[in-house]
Amino acid sequence: MSSTAPALRARVPRLAGAALERARLTVVPKRRRRRRSSVPFLVVVSMLAVGGIVGLLLFNTSMQQASFAATDLQSQADTLSAREQSLQMQLDRLRDPQVIALKAQRMGMVLPSSPAVLDLRTGKILGDPAPATRLDPLRLNAPPPTKPAELDPPAHVTVVHESASTHPGQNSSGNTTHGSQQKSHARGRQDHTGHTNHTRNIHHTDIAH
Amino acid sequence: MPQTSPRGRPGRTTSGRNRRPGRAARSRKRRSLRGSAQLRLRTGFVLIALVLSFFGARLVQLQGVEQQKYATLAASTGGTVTVQLPATRGKILDRNGRPLADSVDGRMVVADPLVTRPHAARLARFLSTRLHIDYFQTLHALSRKGTRFAYIAMRVPASLAVRVVNEAAARGFKGLDTRNDPLRSYPDHDVAANLVGFMGTDGPLAGLELTFDKELAGTNGSETYEVGAGNRIPLGRSTVTPARNGTDLHTTIDEDLQWYTQRVLRQTVLGARGDSGFAIVMDRRSGEVLALADYPTYDASDPQASPPKDRNSLAMTSPYEPGSVEKVLTLSALIDAGKVTDRTRLVVPGQLKSGDRIIHDWFPHGTLHMTLAGVIAQSSNIGTAKSSRLFAPGQLRSYLTRFGLGQRTDVGVNGETAGLLPSKAAWNGMLQDRIAFGQSVSVNGLQEAAAINTIANGGVRVSPSLIQGRATTNTGQVVGTDETTRRRVVSANAAHQMTQMMERVVDPNVGVAPLAQVPGYVVAGKTGTAQRVGPRCGCYNGQFTVAFAGFAPADKPRFTVYVVVQNPRNGGGGGSVAGPAFSKIMSFALRRYGVPPTGGTPSHLPTTW
Repeated sequence: MSSTAPALRARVPRLAGAALERARLTVVPKRRRRRRSSVPFLVVVSMLAVGGIVGLLLFNTSMQQASFAATDLQSQADTLSAREQSLQMQLDRLRDPQVIALKAQRMGMVLPSSPAVLDLRTGKILGDPAPATRLDPLRLNAPPPTKPAELDPPAHVTVVHESASTHPGQNSSGNTTHGSQQKSHARGRQDHTGHTNHTRNIHHTDIAH
Repeated sequence: MPQTSPRGRPGRTTSGRNRRPGRAARSRKRRSLRGSAQLRLRTGFVLIALVLSFFGARLVQLQGVEQQKYATLAASTGGTVTVQLPATRGKILDRNGRPLADSVDGRMVVADPLVTRPHAARLARFLSTRLHIDYFQTLHALSRKGTRFAYIAMRVPASLAVRVVNEAAARGFKGLDTRNDPLRSYPDHDVAANLVGFMGTDGPLAGLELTFDKELAGTNGSETYEVGAGNRIPLGRSTVTPARNGTDLHTTIDEDLQWYTQRVLRQTVLGARGDSGFAIVMDRRSGEVLALADYPTYDASDPQASPPKDRNSLAMTSPYEPGSVEKVLTLSALIDAGKVTDRTRLVVPGQLKSGDRIIHDWFPHGTLHMTLAGVIAQSSNIGTAKSSRLFAPGQLRSYLTRFGLGQRTDVGVNGETAGLLPSKAAWNGMLQDRIAFGQSVSVNGLQEAAAINTIANGGVRVSPSLIQGRATTNTGQVVGTDETTRRRVVSANAAHQMTQMMERVVDPNVGVAPLAQVPGYVVAGKTGTAQRVGPRCGCYNGQFTVAFAGFAPADKPRFTVYVVVQNPRNGGGGGSVAGPAFSKIMSFALRRYGVPPTGGTPSHLPTTW
């Protein structure tokens, strides 16, 4: 204790200072005020928390909704693009020169043999125009595959006797691809043009063979 | 008390001494710890640490030890989905942007046989009528045992596949699904099929599809994302590697002209009862191939229906001897070399001795007095061979090389043949006699067309092309109109003289091919009737190659057309078989491109003297 005495003495002014400070720190009314104000603070905090949670839920829900909508729209877009493509394919099919040519031929159209060109500057007609004819039409369809010999012979034997009457049908073989009704029709027409062939041959020696 | 409390507080340095003395201090400490914040804190920390260490251990277990197992478990429950983003294959277009080969969004229809087996028969009937597939195969696939996956139909247009599967579901048929399966469509079927090629199940199998596959294919991408109840989980993990679509291939082919050429060619080959044939239409100025038709051909949207030998371009891949068409090259070279002119008078004997062989003409004759124009107009082998003896050694070969013979045209056709121009070492007088009129030398169709086009183009050879702009083949070769080269082969004067001589070929009085005339236009051309080399014996087998090559309007050429028919059995020659086809194709091309007649008159060069 003897050793602490002088130290204590030395501390006295500090203790006094510390005591003073303590005395200043303990202010009661302020604490009371704080306790009162903690309720609105809690309210604010809980509102924030609740609001946050609700907001997050709403956000999540809206994201989900957007995701559903996105899936829906995506499938709709897929359907539409598939539809567009199938229409495009249909258009391509209709644009196929073969399809157009078949339709045109069915409508009775023929390829021009020798068209004329009218020069607008000079007013001259170039080329030697000739009317389009049905002679030597362009064969549009591939010939049907030839039947194997084993499948054919008996029918052929009976036909041979009648074939003497249809002798000049050299190019009638080309029209066998049409339907059966059309076939007979086309044959008839072929024969008809076959007859006119001879009369027109005189004017169009270069076209007929 | 006021003394002890300050003692305890500054006891940071002397704490050991403070705690030791006195039980009072120790008991006070224990007493204070029981309800103190420190104890609560420590207990709390320990508890939290316990819990967290469990979490940590579990984390290590999940992420480190059994990671693979859980990943597969997650994948199997369908948590994440990886979808392939298929690259769209580039189109193959004609010169007007119309598709020759198009990529369509397709689907394959697949089934789960476990689900479909009970109602397989009814479902198979429904599917076979709606998808146009075989009933029995479908029935078999739908009722297969021991699998949960079966292909029902491949490459169905997406809209149809989805509609059919939805309808099936509406009728109560379950177990059907669709998968992505890009579809290649060839809307024009056989038009340019031998050039365009086709796609197999795994990749391209022929034609431009194969040659330019790297450019056309593009690169597939992929996307991985998390899925819940069929919907994508927002903000879930996702990785996307975008697909790189293939580039379109623009060809120089004119769809309509190609179609017409193919139809005329088919009619011609069938009419002559020939084996095969081809026809080429070339733009004189640019060297662009407007049409390259082959017969036999096939339907590119159903290649299996035709034998494989019909599916490539014989014009490009099969070498043949050009025959008399070659005389155009020989004699224009001879004029260019200054040895003859179109009016040079020749004495053509009935036969010509060449080494140990004798050269004949296609028609028997005594000694004739022909001009050079007459030699072309009447296609005299003897006259050509005799005058070709005026060439200096090696001169003809170098001319023919400059005409492009013996070298690939490199337009981008797979398996193109280079033809065969005999080497310098093998070259001799006998050989030259035969080569002069187109024997002992073989070419591909486009080579010969480009060579004839050289005359049409005033003696300048334009390299032919099949691709507009430029494109890189799988082997890294750049081809296309951007790579077009021009080189002078014969002088403009020589080309002009040759044109005049070729005009005599279609003359009804002095020429051999009046049927090749195009009404209203002046035409220059040359027939060819060559003996054909058989593939087995390597000798002439009695078959013929008949051809007609020419251009119009002769005084201002726009197109070069070359028609070849192999082995006609109707006894026809180049003039009577290929000539009419040439006329039709040329007439169509001139009309289609609005080329007015020039109003010129055909030459009246004397053919005899």
